[in-house]
Amino acid sequence: MEGTVITITSGKGGVGKTTTTANIGAALALLGKKVVVLDGDIGLRNLDIVMGLENRIVYDIVDFIEGRCRLRQALIRDKRAPELYLIPTAQTRDKSAINPEQMKQVCDELRKEFDYVVIDSPAGIEQGFQNALAPADDVLVVTNPEVSSVRDADRVIGLVESSEKGPARLIINRLVPARVKKQEMLSMQDIIDVLSTDIIGIVPEDEAILSSSNRGTPVVFNGKGPASQAYRDIARRITGEDVPLTQPQATSWWQKLLGRVE
Amino acid sequence: MGFLDRFFGTRSSSETAKQRLQLVLVHDRAEIPPGMLALIKDDIIAVLSRRVNIDRDKVAVNVTHEAKSSKLLVDIPLLSNDNNAPGRMRGEPQRPRRTSSSS
Repeated sequence: MEGTVITITSGKGGVGKTTTTANIGAALALLGKKVVVLDGDIGLRNLDIVMGLENRIVYDIVDFIEGRCRLRQALIRDKRAPELYLIPTAQTRDKSAINPEQMKQVCDELRKEFDYVVIDSPAGIEQGFQNALAPADDVLVVTNPEVSSVRDADRVIGLVESSEKGPARLIINRLVPARVKKQEMLSMQDIIDVLSTDIIGIVPEDEAILSSSNRGTPVVFNGKGPASQAYRDIARRITGEDVPLTQPQATSWWQKLLGRVE
Repeated sequence: MGFLDRFFGTRSSSETAKQRLQLVLVHDRAEIPPGMLALIKDDIIAVLSRRVNIDRDKVAVNVTHEAKSSKLLVDIPLLSNDNNAPGRMRGEPQRPRRTSSSS
C-alpha cells in the first residue's frame, strides 16, 4: 500500500508549523510507522534544527531535484525512532528552485517506501505553499487562538478546498486553558463556530516546547507534558484511531498541589 | 473576565474577538469589503427611491455565507401612509441621500 502525504500549513507565520511537523512525524514514527518529514521552506531551513539533525546534512531536496544526488542520499535518519527520516531543504536557494510537479514526483517516490510523508509548508500562500500543497493527500492547518492566525487559516482552508485537496483539518496550537476560562482567549468552540472545520487536535501552550527546540529534541520523544500528549493523540487520529477530543482544562490550585502538573 | 467587567456588563475580549472574526470572514469569503456595502446600499436607495417610497433609514444590506455560497441580503422597508401608498409610482424622483453607516 502506498503512503500518505500530509501537508502542515497555516497561512500565517510563527504559529508552530515546524514544531508541529517535527512532533507529528516523530509521534507517527513512535507508533511504528515508517515516516519521512520534508522541509518545504526553501531558503529558510528550520525543520533540521528543531529536530536536532542540523549537523548531519550533506544533501538536500534541491540537490536531488537538480540531479546532484540520489533521493536516498538526501535522507537523514533520526535514530530516536525506529523508522524516522528527514529530508532537509536548501538554505541558499529560493522557492522557485522547485515547482509543484517536481514536488509531486519526489513524493510519489517517497510514498512507495514510507507510510507517511509529512511536509512542513512555508508561511504564506505563494509558490512555496503551492509546492507543499500539490502532493498532499491530507492537509492540516495550524492556527493559534488569536484573530490574525484564525483569519489566515480560513483563507488557507478556502484555498485547500478550491485545489480539491480538502477538507483540511485544523490544529489549534498554543491554547492557554486558564485564559480561555477567563474569556481572554478564543476557545476551541469559538474557533469551530467561526471556521466550521473539523479539528484534529488541540495543543496547549507548554513551556517544554521552547526547551525542546533549544535542545533539538521534539517533545514527543521524552515528555509526558500536555503538548507531548496532544501531539501523540493527533498522530493516533491520523492513523485512524478514534481518540476523543477534549478542550484542555485549566488546572486548579489543588491539582498543582497534588503535583499533577509537570 | 473580571468581576467588575461582569458587573458593568462589559463584553469579554474573547467574545469581541469571535464577533469581529465572524464579521470579517463573511466579507473575506464573499470578496466584498465591508466599506463596499455602504456604497451598494446608497446605490440601491437611489435607484429604488425613484419608483417607490422607501424607509431609507431602515434599509439593511448584509452579506451572509453558508456552506459554499454567499448571499447579499437586502432588506428594504416600504413606507406606507395614506398619501403615499407602498409601491406607488412617484411623479418626481427624490434626490438620493447618502447613508453614513457601514452596517
